[in-house]
Amino acid sequence: MATKTKYELTKKDFRQMNRRNIFLNQLGWNYEKMQGSGYLFIVLPQLRKIYGDHTPELKQAMRMQNQFFNTNPYLNTTIQGLDVALEEKQGISSLETVSGLKNGLMGPVAAIGDTIFASLIPAIIGAIAANMAVQGNPAGAFLWLAVNIAIMYFRWIQLEFAYKGGVTLVTKLQGEMNALTNAATLLGVYVVGALIASLVNIDVPFVAHIGKMTVNLQNEFDTIMPKMIPGLAVGLIYWILGRKRMTSTKAIFIVIIVAVVFSALGVLGKGA
Amino acid sequence: MSGNILLWQVIVLTFYSMYQIIDDLTFISSLAQPVWAGLITGAVMGDVTKGLIIGGSLQLTVLGVGTFGGASKIDANSGTILATAFSISSGMNAQTAVAAIGVPVASLMIETDVLGRFTNTYFQHRIDRTIEEENYHAFERNYLYGAIPWALSRGIPVFIALQFGGGLVTEIVKVLDTKMVWLSNGLATAGALLPAVGFAILLRYLPVKKHFAYLILGFTLTALLTTVFTNVQTLGTSMAKVSSSFSNNFTALPMVAISLIGFSFALNAYKRDVGNLPSSTDSQQNGPSQPEQSEQKNTKDEDGEIDGDED
Repeated sequence: MATKTKYELTKKDFRQMNRRNIFLNQLGWNYEKMQGSGYLFIVLPQLRKIYGDHTPELKQAMRMQNQFFNTNPYLNTTIQGLDVALEEKQGISSLETVSGLKNGLMGPVAAIGDTIFASLIPAIIGAIAANMAVQGNPAGAFLWLAVNIAIMYFRWIQLEFAYKGGVTLVTKLQGEMNALTNAATLLGVYVVGALIASLVNIDVPFVAHIGKMTVNLQNEFDTIMPKMIPGLAVGLIYWILGRKRMTSTKAIFIVIIVAVVFSALGVLGKGA
Repeated sequence: MSGNILLWQVIVLTFYSMYQIIDDLTFISSLAQPVWAGLITGAVMGDVTKGLIIGGSLQLTVLGVGTFGGASKIDANSGTILATAFSISSGMNAQTAVAAIGVPVASLMIETDVLGRFTNTYFQHRIDRTIEEENYHAFERNYLYGAIPWALSRGIPVFIALQFGGGLVTEIVKVLDTKMVWLSNGLATAGALLPAVGFAILLRYLPVKKHFAYLILGFTLTALLTTVFTNVQTLGTSMAKVSSSFSNNFTALPMVAISLIGFSFALNAYKRDVGNLPSSTDSQQNGPSQPEQSEQKNTKDEDGEIDGDED
């Protein structure tokens, strides 16, 4: 049943796919098929070499590759690597497998990629860069650029890695990826705790006059637990975000309104 | 007319806003992040420090807001461009500009993002047709046309706002500085509180229940040490004034050192988890039995929680 194809992929093919991925992926993103056309755009030159121009096979492969697809843009070429390895060896008879592979892997790949590359790394480096920026220091922004260029290198080599390793290698790595994700989220949670204490800069300027005694509330709070107010604020917003039909954008506006009202009442102020 | 924003500045910033969204889709170089938007807009407008402060504040506000499954996210980059440009041209306080311009612009731009993604459906239909016609060059051309709606979804609103919004912003600043100082102070307080939203959103995405102890550890350690470092710094500065032989070189709390403590815990957790994995020779021998492997792994996970089930 194997309709073997004559064409074998070369280094040049991988370079072409990587160029198309890094410079032009997601440009065709739309609500109907999301990254579908982008997926086909990346593999099209290789499909044309495998099946030949204007063959019914190529048309069939192009139709299949143009279907709905959406995954994490950092790890997407691992799927393309497995895909071209199969199509190169088994030709048109592999299309059903490839389609199943695409649909089966885009979810898990998105989950891993979004956790590590789209949330954790930007959050940790973003916090460092922002922390420096609010003090007028641009070094953090350049650090971020350097990190993302390093990540681009991994995006470049993973295609050939997936092509050579095949499905078993990718699934085998999943255990290690889970351990890595667990360690990274631990660090993430710890760093967020540290950042709350150092970057949420609000205090209570309210001074109570009871008879002849004046009570500076902020001093009282500081003897209990320094940075208590920022900690409570984050806890409260965390709770608000968990309410039904709450979005992050709505929460941001609620915080602005509450801050303006409390500031006008003299209860809340910008820290020194 | 635009306040003090020159035409060349409007054009450069419009092009940057168009470039950044393409960058964020393709190379993902970080140039599309608010800190960079602040740095670049600040450089164009002639006040890099103010740009960095605004970019940094908005960066903290959206920390943890990622795009998942193609949902539109709050466009803090365009918000930073406009907040920085107007803050510098009209002399508005940086923290006030974050809450008064940055956030409203960033959330309004969600709509143009949706419009851009929707417009691209038109090119998708043309792509579908080129496949049936076996016209490979037309396919690639129509795919690349997708960049146009993306770029315009940022370029048009940024251009209109910069070119025609200046007068309005100057008026608002005048009112805020005279009749409505309370509102101006309130917006500055809001600007200082907004990073709290960023951290809360981030915690929603992280398995915070599982690692709660580390949240407390990071928070308490930093809260205590910040107080100590700040007080020592203040003390040192006063001492230097009293005695000239006292040299004051106390620094602020180094966050990298704080992060390293957390890193050591993360490293231990990683080593423990990898040690619990079935050995690689095992998994090679019974290669196809993948489900069995993952089951083994899950039972060994003492916390009984899998990362994937966190929302």
